[in-house]
Amino acid sequence: MEKMIELKNITKEFKVLNRREGLKGSFQDLFSRDYKIIRAVDDISLSVGQGEIVGFLGPNGAGKSTTIKMMTGVLEPTSGELMVNGRIPYKNRTANSQEIGVVFGQRSQLWWALPLVESFKLLKDIYQIPQKDYDDMMELYGGLVNFDEILHKPVRQMSLGQRTLSDILAAFLHNPKVVFLDEPTIGLDVAMKSRIRELILELNRQKNTTVILTTHDMGDVDALCERIVIIDKGKMLYDNDIQHLRRFFGSYRTLKIRPGEDMKEVEEHLEKELAGMDVRISHDDEWISILINEEQIKVLNVLEMVQEKHEIKDMQLEEISTEDVIKKIYREGV
Amino acid sequence: MNRLKKYLALTRAGIIECINYRMSLAVMVFGNLLYLTLIYFVWKAIFASSGSDVVNGMTFETTMIYLVLATALFNFMEMYIVWEMGRDIQSGKIALNLIRPMEYRNYLFWSVSGSFVVNFVFTFIPTFIIVLLVTKGTIALGINLLYFIPAVILAVIINYEIDFIVGTICLYTESIWGINIMKQAVVTLLSGATIPLAFFPDKLRTVIDYLPFRAIYDTPLTLLLSDGTDKNMVMTKLAISFLWAVLMSVISRLFWKVSIKQVTVNGG
Repeated sequence: MEKMIELKNITKEFKVLNRREGLKGSFQDLFSRDYKIIRAVDDISLSVGQGEIVGFLGPNGAGKSTTIKMMTGVLEPTSGELMVNGRIPYKNRTANSQEIGVVFGQRSQLWWALPLVESFKLLKDIYQIPQKDYDDMMELYGGLVNFDEILHKPVRQMSLGQRTLSDILAAFLHNPKVVFLDEPTIGLDVAMKSRIRELILELNRQKNTTVILTTHDMGDVDALCERIVIIDKGKMLYDNDIQHLRRFFGSYRTLKIRPGEDMKEVEEHLEKELAGMDVRISHDDEWISILINEEQIKVLNVLEMVQEKHEIKDMQLEEISTEDVIKKIYREGV
Repeated sequence: MNRLKKYLALTRAGIIECINYRMSLAVMVFGNLLYLTLIYFVWKAIFASSGSDVVNGMTFETTMIYLVLATALFNFMEMYIVWEMGRDIQSGKIALNLIRPMEYRNYLFWSVSGSFVVNFVFTFIPTFIIVLLVTKGTIALGINLLYFIPAVILAVIINYEIDFIVGTICLYTESIWGINIMKQAVVTLLSGATIPLAFFPDKLRTVIDYLPFRAIYDTPLTLLLSDGTDKNMVMTKLAISFLWAVLMSVISRLFWKVSIKQVTVNGG
């Protein structure tokens, strides 16, 4: 497989002014030379082949976006070697941008006041896409999404879901070798999330485009990625396929219960019953959360256990969150 | 040719975008009328108190013609580039615009070029025609119109480069408001957009002669309002504007290059 992205010991440091508190502190800051260095990305090495979909997973502020910004050429690494598609991205930004596509979270690269089709035409001219390629692409898009409802709508009148969809289409329009998607499904409902995931997967298959995406939604990872990179506090914790990762979250579910009576009582009862099993119980103001390893005990059994003795007002079942996966990786190692 | 096409595509989009906001066009015309009424009375008072018909070589009529056209010129020249850049920088949208397949300075210029065209056609030309009809023959219609075109193009470039330099400062300050207000005050005053340069004291005028600002409003308007017979004056003025345009482009290019390096290295 042809190498598309190559990172060797990439580190990125930011210089940040140490801010003081209060009005007096603000005035002192005016003249302050007191900088601290923050290491946002710490010694990451990685190599991605053509056509791969790699998911960058990690909590907020983990360094995912910084890594992506370096790969797109917006930021320059402090140290380390970086190659994307045989180029050093920050050295020749303009040439590099011809061959990459980017969607940065909730920021749209489309023209706010223009109908989507005008934005597409504009991108066609800016990226100098030949008419035939453009027509082919539009035909492909037409088969993938419901074009009628968005194509002639100004971007500012679109729902968030439609806008994200349009932004992804725009990022793929000039048939780039690599597409970077920074949290593409953030803030979307379940149906839209799944439409977006299908679209990304289909475009990746048809065009053999390498896709790098960041997310903290395990659902994205599940649906899209063969390979996962987990980043936390700038360090790479995990780089392997999804099957391995399932060890950490596959058989885990979180059961959330809102009891009709005293929470303490319910919690104590559960702790007694489930003692010695791989279960973690915690609670907040309203909910008791029980992290259950389904290899040992089924969620339904736990639910039954509670229901025998207590009233349940409400319940939810959640997949394990990224944060929990990372906690488990820290605790148990890879 | 293809290169130009990708820039002209931005102009085209800008025109469509601009016309979409037609209400704002109407509001702008209305705001201008208010402003012009105001300066009409201000200058009327100035001429009345001076007790003579000609002040600093200008009559009330020529002053008004100059100021009306300066306002019309301001409307299409002022593209709020500093705001645009400041917003891009503060919101982080600059990251997206840095990875367009063209340089940021070009991208920005051609993005606003659409509104240059719209505002020129919808405000400057009508204003000019109205002034022409009202003053009946005070403005010569000849070769001076031809001189006006390169002068305006150079003015647009110089104005853009100044804005771009000021906008680049936003990379360091991360705030826009104060800088933009200051820039606007300096440029409109020293370029002759608010007060004809003839009214300035001699010492200040000598200083202004060595600054680029007068090439933005004073030069195009002087050429437009002249009869165009003094070829020497015209060529000198155009040559000076041209030199300023080149110089300002070089400065803004270098300044941006150094500054953006700062951002991509240290993070923004």
